[in-house]
Amino acid sequence: MTPYLIRRLLQAVATLFIVSIVAFWLLHLMPDGVARGLLGPRATPELIAREEHQLGLDRTLVVQYGIWLTKLLHGDLGTSPVYHQSVSALIGERLGQSAYLAALALLITVLLAVPVGVLQATRAGSLTDHTLTTLSFVGYAVPVFFVGPLLRDVFQVRLHWVPIANQIDSFHSALIQPEQLVLPVATLVIGLLAGYSRYVRSAMLDELTQDYVRTAVAKGARGRRVLYRHVLRNAMLPMATLIGLSLPGLVGGALLVEQVFNIQGLGWLTVQAAQRDDFAVVLGTTMLTALATVAGSLLADVSYAALDPRVRLT
Amino acid sequence: MALLEVRDLHTRIKLKRGAVRAVDGVSFSVEAGETVGLVGESGCGKTLTALSIMRLLPAGGSSPRGSVLLDGRDLLRLDEDEMAGVRGNDIGMIFQDPMTALNPTMTVGRQISEAVRIHRGAGKRAARERAVEVLRQVGMPSPEQRAADYPHQLSGGMRQRAMIAMALAAEPRLLIADEPTTALDPTVRRQILELIDGLRERLGMAVVLVAHDLGVIAGHADRVNVMYAGRIVESARTARLYAGPRHPYTEALFDALPDRAAEGGTRLYSIPGQPPDPADPPAACRFAARCRYAQEDCRTQDPPYRTDEETGDRYACFHPVGTTQRTGAEPAAGTGIAAAGREPAPVQLGDVLLEVTDLVKDYPVTKGLLRRRVGTVSAVAGVSFSLRAGETLGLVGETGCGKTTLARLIVGLEASTSGTIRVAGEDLAALTPRARRRRRRDVQLMFQDTHAAMDPRMRTRAVVREPLDIQRIGDRAFREARIRELFEQVGLPVSALERYPHEFSGGQRQRVGLARALAPAPRLIVADEPVSALDASIQSQVLSVMKDVRSEFGLSYLFISHDLSAVRHLADRIAVMYLGKLVELGPAEAVRARPVHPYTRALVDAVPVADPAVERGRIVTGAGGEPPSALDPPSGCRFRTRCPAAREICARQEPPLARHGPDGHQAACHFPLVPLSAEEVDTRRR
Repeated sequence: MTPYLIRRLLQAVATLFIVSIVAFWLLHLMPDGVARGLLGPRATPELIAREEHQLGLDRTLVVQYGIWLTKLLHGDLGTSPVYHQSVSALIGERLGQSAYLAALALLITVLLAVPVGVLQATRAGSLTDHTLTTLSFVGYAVPVFFVGPLLRDVFQVRLHWVPIANQIDSFHSALIQPEQLVLPVATLVIGLLAGYSRYVRSAMLDELTQDYVRTAVAKGARGRRVLYRHVLRNAMLPMATLIGLSLPGLVGGALLVEQVFNIQGLGWLTVQAAQRDDFAVVLGTTMLTALATVAGSLLADVSYAALDPRVRLT
Repeated sequence: MALLEVRDLHTRIKLKRGAVRAVDGVSFSVEAGETVGLVGESGCGKTLTALSIMRLLPAGGSSPRGSVLLDGRDLLRLDEDEMAGVRGNDIGMIFQDPMTALNPTMTVGRQISEAVRIHRGAGKRAARERAVEVLRQVGMPSPEQRAADYPHQLSGGMRQRAMIAMALAAEPRLLIADEPTTALDPTVRRQILELIDGLRERLGMAVVLVAHDLGVIAGHADRVNVMYAGRIVESARTARLYAGPRHPYTEALFDALPDRAAEGGTRLYSIPGQPPDPADPPAACRFAARCRYAQEDCRTQDPPYRTDEETGDRYACFHPVGTTQRTGAEPAAGTGIAAAGREPAPVQLGDVLLEVTDLVKDYPVTKGLLRRRVGTVSAVAGVSFSLRAGETLGLVGETGCGKTTLARLIVGLEASTSGTIRVAGEDLAALTPRARRRRRRDVQLMFQDTHAAMDPRMRTRAVVREPLDIQRIGDRAFREARIRELFEQVGLPVSALERYPHEFSGGQRQRVGLARALAPAPRLIVADEPVSALDASIQSQVLSVMKDVRSEFGLSYLFISHDLSAVRHLADRIAVMYLGKLVELGPAEAVRARPVHPYTRALVDAVPVADPAVERGRIVTGAGGEPPSALDPPSGCRFRTRCPAAREICARQEPPLARHGPDGHQAACHFPLVPLSAEEVDTRRR
């Protein structure tokens, strides 16, 4: 197991390195540049050149990358020329509320998807099954920027079930006003539920036809026992992978939902930074998402091995 | 009153179009302490009869009609909860494949104790202790440790023992065994059957033994019910049935056993045609269309049972065996059906076609960060043999002996670690890629699982044409003509060209497989278990076709099988492999009749004989246990860990392959079963 982990970590470092090169190169292909953005449309070429020199943007790409990488290895993601703040501090301020929102949504999705999927699988082909399938696909098909405003309009504006939104601009503000998260989380869950419950349903159906299920019935186990002691565990194994792979979503932030509900999270930050050509911040969030992707898939593989006695990591 | 009484059982299975009458009026009974066999070919309804008794029908299965009385209580009238109290408690069931029938993520011990916890309300500890106790009872080595293992950590035989332990945990009065040995290796099969026999005696249970093989039933059942197309066609005490079957179908099943044909020196009989469509069986004798004795009345009326009042033996036939002349003409050989007296002329052996020398294939096992090599799976370990044009070599061995790896090496699907393979004198490894590609034509492969080995979206015309296309043989018209010719040779109608692989039965699909192998006009066909997945009567059809095309084209076969009796029908010589080594090689009859190596002897003994007197009286010297892992194989003679004759020298020194009889009979053993002749000792000294 340990050699496996070491090998995977080395692979992860290599992956991140390649991502950083590609991201760095792509971001420098952007037209205009941060200097014009900072100085405004009426800045003279001389002013822009001076600003670019100060920011180190007049050096070759390779040198810029070298400097960025050296800083990164010292734990420094650079400074945002727009916010005049270090990138790590900016990300740190936003990461909490984003991860909290996404994790809450994922948790609720899984908690709902498992019973819904199990119910559908045990009654496959019934009216219940078809109704739940239709509902979850409607949720899947309708875009977030429609569901979000709709929920806000109905529950905030008309029914007043949820107070009118304050801005959530920190993890602390997210924690102290849970009622503010109800609608964004609901929006996310509506979009995610179809995929997850579908997954549970088909995994359950696959397992239910396995020979060992018949063996369990043959020794006298009744319906519930067969379902929960034998089938469910085996059907849940692939879920480990699915959850692991949604880790980048937790970090990357639910971009659209953050826009709709005015949550200043990581997604919001990335959009703002991209609009203002602040590539130090965009690069930082890109690297963070890449890290989460690599970590998520590693986590999925490790937990799979822990859950399934047949799988050994070597 | 009988312990189990099945009366007029009907079970339907709903399919996409229409319903199949899978079990159609089956009645039989089982007395306490008795073993009753249910025999028949796949699709005859034997397994569904067993599942109907347990009410474990697959999706689409209707609730069975009729009655199933267990001690007078009708199981078909119980509600689901009461039935759950019967399953595992009064009736235990074991299934065919212990790998899939066990839950992969639950320890064996927990799966066994579950039955005890359900039916006895036992606590965790008491149930666990009971699990270990039953595991000991079924002969599981070190049961405490094994109880903590997951199914994949056990060998095939141990898994089936665990399965039996699970069925017996709550001490049922009836055990239903559905093909309990079909998925196991031959030397392990006998161990499991003997275990079931012993347990029945000790625990006083009754057993329903479901099998497709008459040989399996012979030594183990008191009464045999032969099923055909959803019905029991004959029911008789075992000795009576084997002494003289009354129903023509039973007789045909016996005649299709390769061993009987080999013993009598006759060509293998195969039952012509296919069983009737189970969705719409004829309102007459269901076997009439394939019967050798059928008269007009058989095709218009349904024969009632004729019962012998005294013994209870019964059969459903108007013209039982021995009362009527055979009418159905024995079909001609081109369709793969044996014709008496048309045994082809003995094949003229040509030059050496295939020569394998010191062939080795190792698979490295790696560990650690740098994938250091920590071990070797020795799949093929120094195998040498040769095969002449027109000759058939049977290669026999159990799971993991390396026979399939050897086939893949010869065909060129894998590269050997060392050693050479020469085809018609040319070392394949030394050829240029282009020449090697050309040479590939000469060696073709036939697969065991024809379903998996054919593209499901290709019509059979395209399946058979593909080798011609790849090898660029002939033009369009030539290829089309060649395909038609091939189909005729393997006994398939030209209309079959337009069909997809799934539209064929297993036997027909293997004919397509043979046609595909024959397409580029090869000189050698490597057939990897070509008939193992087929029913006995279908096996003999395919074997006959293979035999016919061999004499027609002067082909050679390397015929690979785990089953000595299947090989015997076709092979001129037999080679026996054990854990990557050749342990015996010689003329087919000599190897079978006078095996020199104890392992060959064990394989010969493992072939069930379809004769209860022989089967019961047999003293078996067979190998105990199961093959060890090819990773880190035993030192010296690899068979020594299971050999009854092993002594200290066997661990120290590897016995070389040496002569042990005329016609190049060779074996690798320090203590051969047939002593060397004086002349041989003499040659060896020199």
